[in-house]
Order: sequence, then C-alpha cells, then structure tokens
Amino acid sequence: MIKKPSPLGVVTFLVVLFVISPLLVVIPTSFTSVKYLSFPAVGFSFQWYTKILDRPEFIDSFYFSLKLAALTAVISGILGTLAGLALHRYKFRGSGVINSLLLMPLTVPALIVGIAVLLFFTRIGLAGTFTGLLLSHILISIPYVVRLVLTGLSSFDYTLERAAYIMGAKPYHVFKDITMPLLKPAILSGMVFAFLTSFDNVTVSLFLVSPSTTTLPLAIFSHMQESLDPLVASLSSVVILFSLLFIIILERVYGLDRLFGSNSHSH
Amino acid sequence: MKDGRNRKRRTAVLLLAPAIVILIGVFLLPMVYILILSFQDKQEQFSFENYWLFVKDPYYLQILWRTIKLSLLTVGACFLLGYPVALYMSQVSNRMRGIITFLIIAPHLVSVVIRNFGWVIMLGEKGLINNSLLKLGLIDKPIRLMYNELGVVIGLTDSLIVYMVLALATSLYQIDGSLYKAASILGAGRVRTFFTVIVPLTLPGMLAGSTLVFSLSMSSFVTPALMGGTSVKVLPVIAYEKIMTQLNWQVGAAISFLLLLSTVGLVTLFTRLVETKRYKEVFSS
Repeated sequence: MIKKPSPLGVVTFLVVLFVISPLLVVIPTSFTSVKYLSFPAVGFSFQWYTKILDRPEFIDSFYFSLKLAALTAVISGILGTLAGLALHRYKFRGSGVINSLLLMPLTVPALIVGIAVLLFFTRIGLAGTFTGLLLSHILISIPYVVRLVLTGLSSFDYTLERAAYIMGAKPYHVFKDITMPLLKPAILSGMVFAFLTSFDNVTVSLFLVSPSTTTLPLAIFSHMQESLDPLVASLSSVVILFSLLFIIILERVYGLDRLFGSNSHSH
Repeated sequence: MKDGRNRKRRTAVLLLAPAIVILIGVFLLPMVYILILSFQDKQEQFSFENYWLFVKDPYYLQILWRTIKLSLLTVGACFLLGYPVALYMSQVSNRMRGIITFLIIAPHLVSVVIRNFGWVIMLGEKGLINNSLLKLGLIDKPIRLMYNELGVVIGLTDSLIVYMVLALATSLYQIDGSLYKAASILGAGRVRTFFTVIVPLTLPGMLAGSTLVFSLSMSSFVTPALMGGTSVKVLPVIAYEKIMTQLNWQVGAAISFLLLLSTVGLVTLFTRLVETKRYKEVFSS
C-alpha cells in the first residue's frame, strides 16, 4: 500500500483544469458588451446571442447539423448493430478480417478519409450532396456502434435466449423480447456517440460540405478564419450546452469510461 | 450439418452486407482511388513526380519535418502532463477515478473548433493569460502565445492528452498491488520502486498512448489552422490547400499518402525499438 501523495493530486487538478478551461472561458466571454474578444469579459449583455438571430446561415447550419446527426445516429445504429451481431454470433472464415476492416476508418486519419472521399465522390458525382456527407458520417460512426455492441455482447447471458427457445419462442420474439432489451444500453450509447461524432465532426465534413449544406462547427470554423468576434463565443456556447446534454445522456446510459478504448478518431 | 452452416453463413453475410457496402464505397474504393491518383501527373499518365517533390523541394521537406517535430513535442507534453494524472487515478477510490475520467473525457467530445476557440480567448492579446500577466506587472506588453508553434502544441496537447491518460491508466490499473509491497520489503524507496518496477511495467501503455497521440497529431488539421496561423504550416494544411484552393488533386493525394506512410513508418520504427530492447518480456504477455 502506498499513501496518496498529494503533489500528484495537485498536478491532476491542474491538468483537469487545463483540459476543461477552454470550454469554461467561452461561456462568460459570450456575455461581453464589447466588439472584441477579451477575458475577463467587459460589461454584460445578451447582444451576441440576439446577433445570432440576424445570421440565418448559423441557424440553418444548426438545423442542418441536427438533421445530419440524427440520421447518422439512426442509420449507423441499425447497420452497426446488425454487423456487431453477425460478427459475434457467426465465426466464419474472414470474420476477423471484416472485424478489423470495420474498425479501419478509425485508424486511418480523418483528414485522409476526408480527402479520399471528396476526390472519389467528385468522380462519381456525389460530392457536395447531402447523401455524400451522410454516407461519410455513417462511415466514421459505424465503428463505434460495432465496438459498443460487441462489448455489450461479450457480457451477454445466452442462457436467457436459450431458455426462451426451450419455452417455444419464435426467433423473432426472442430477438425482440430478450436480445434487444439486453443490448439496448449498448446500442443506445452507440447511437448517442454516433450523434456526437457527426454533430461535432469537422475534419471529414470540411471536405464534403457545400455552401448550402454546411454544419454548425464548420460554419463557426469559417467564421473564425475571417473574424474573431464574440459572436463565435455565443455560437460556441450553444454548441457546448448542446453537446453537454448528449454527454450527460451518454454518461447516464453507459458511462464514459467504458466508451473510450485504446483506439480513436477525428482530428 | 453442412446445410445449417451454409444458412448461418448466409445470415451473417446478410447482416454484414449494408455495413460492408458502405465500407467499400466510402472508404476502400476512395483510398485506392487516391493511391492511384497520387501516381499520376496532370495528364493522367503514370508518374512519380508528386512524390519527387518531397525529395527535391526543401520547402516540402521543411514542412514534413515541422509536422513531425510538432507531433513529437505534443507526445512529450501529453506524456509529462498525463503520467501524474494516470498515476493518481490508479491510487484513488473508484468514485474519484470515475470523476477524473469523466472530466478528462467529456471536453473531448465537444468539437475541436470550439476548444480551440477557448484557447484563442485565453492566449490572445487581450486573453486571460496576457491580461493576468499585465495586471501582475510581470510583462508590460502582451506576449505572443499563439499563431506560432507554441499555440499549436498547446492546442494539440489539450485535445489529445485524453488518449495518453487513458492508455497509461489502463496499464497502471493492471499492476498487481503486491508488487509495491514486495519492492518495499526488499528495501526500495518510493522513487526507486517507481523507476524500476512501475515504469517498465507501464511501457505498453506508454507505447500505446504515445503512438496514438503521435498519429493523431501528425494528421490534425483544425488545430494547426486555427492556432498556428499562416506561418506554421504542416502537411495536413498543405494537403488541404493543394486540393481545395489549388485544385491540384494529384499532389494533394500524394501528400496524404506520404503523411500516412511517414506516420505508420515512424510508429513501427519506434515500436520495434522499444519492444526489442531490454523490456521485451513486458510485451510478450
């Protein structure tokens, strides 16, 4: 047994502060009453929130992001669950290869995925379309759903399914009444994670959006490259609160610590 | 028997099909396509000229080197800041561990654009840090904390440290508690125990964390673009410019592959170096 050395605690506190501080400073800055960025903020006003209303492009991109993320969550939730079930239940030649292939979009850098998809989609006429953007978001979300479903299945109690079969239940009912309810937390977390992945993605979307189909983070990104004003702070605060809502759901349903394995994505 | 197996296989294929179709159409084919593209000149003839650029033009070599250098600095910063956190996490109660894990992971789920914006607020001329230093009288005019390499490393460290902490924590959790006792019975102090017992045993975690942080920072685009300004160009930024503003797809594709190759190459080299040395046994388990 070793005792808690408090210097480690102090360093941990500082590092945690380092990680969360960028998000903490954004919200107070959004209430500033001047036209420039400064921390601490000067005065207090809601003007930067009302100014969002004068910029329809941000409101449109917010709705667009919501729509895209919701569709991504539903589709990759379904496809990922089916794939996860198949990979866990049926061991066949090549299932190992397919498993690692399905996780590959995570290991290849998001930037390269974005470039490859843009160039290929331009060739086949999908670049700049909603379908193209949606497909790319599904691609980068499926690995998470598959992994979460596989983790869920690894602690799955098959005796329950077997018992249902013995009692004479049809495969469909076993799936609906036993398998699905037991897997629900894993699938749901997969979908929430897919939603967040899509809602916050920049690096892949960067290559696939068009002026009429822009996501909110990208609208903020392009605005930031032109001017750094408190409008970005109010927009960012909206995104932070929105993401926070989903992070809390994720934590409640699944637990964030179980979510992060050794592998990951998108910068 | 055989019939049943065939049916099972058909079911599996059917369940996997939609995901595989997306994987092929949105990932494998595009990757093959840009590989081919990278070996073509403007007239679509086979050529090495896109890669040749890196050999003969010092401008590109310099950018490659800067990309590697910034990534290594980020790995170093993530390691130095992350190890104490992971060590602390392995020593506290489950509840505390959960809280720290949540606080480290949660910000990571908010878009990197917004986290970078937070850094702009803190590091800018009228930012938190400059304002505080001015007020304390430590400086008399704002110092430059971003739009340079420092800003990029700060931004990257912030967004990637989570991988280092979790990789290190995972290997620290696996250390058998009796080892600490054994070390102390044999007369080792805390510092000695740390360097001769703990550090070697967490090598797999260090390697996993470092390679992950390294690969992710090599290919990050948003942070260098926002925190580095126009003077700190890295490979991903050049690739973006080639494709989106100069419409030179062939060179853009070649840069992408070179980025992938240099990342994988350096990671493999590093892994080999560590694994074949003194600590081989740590990895064989």
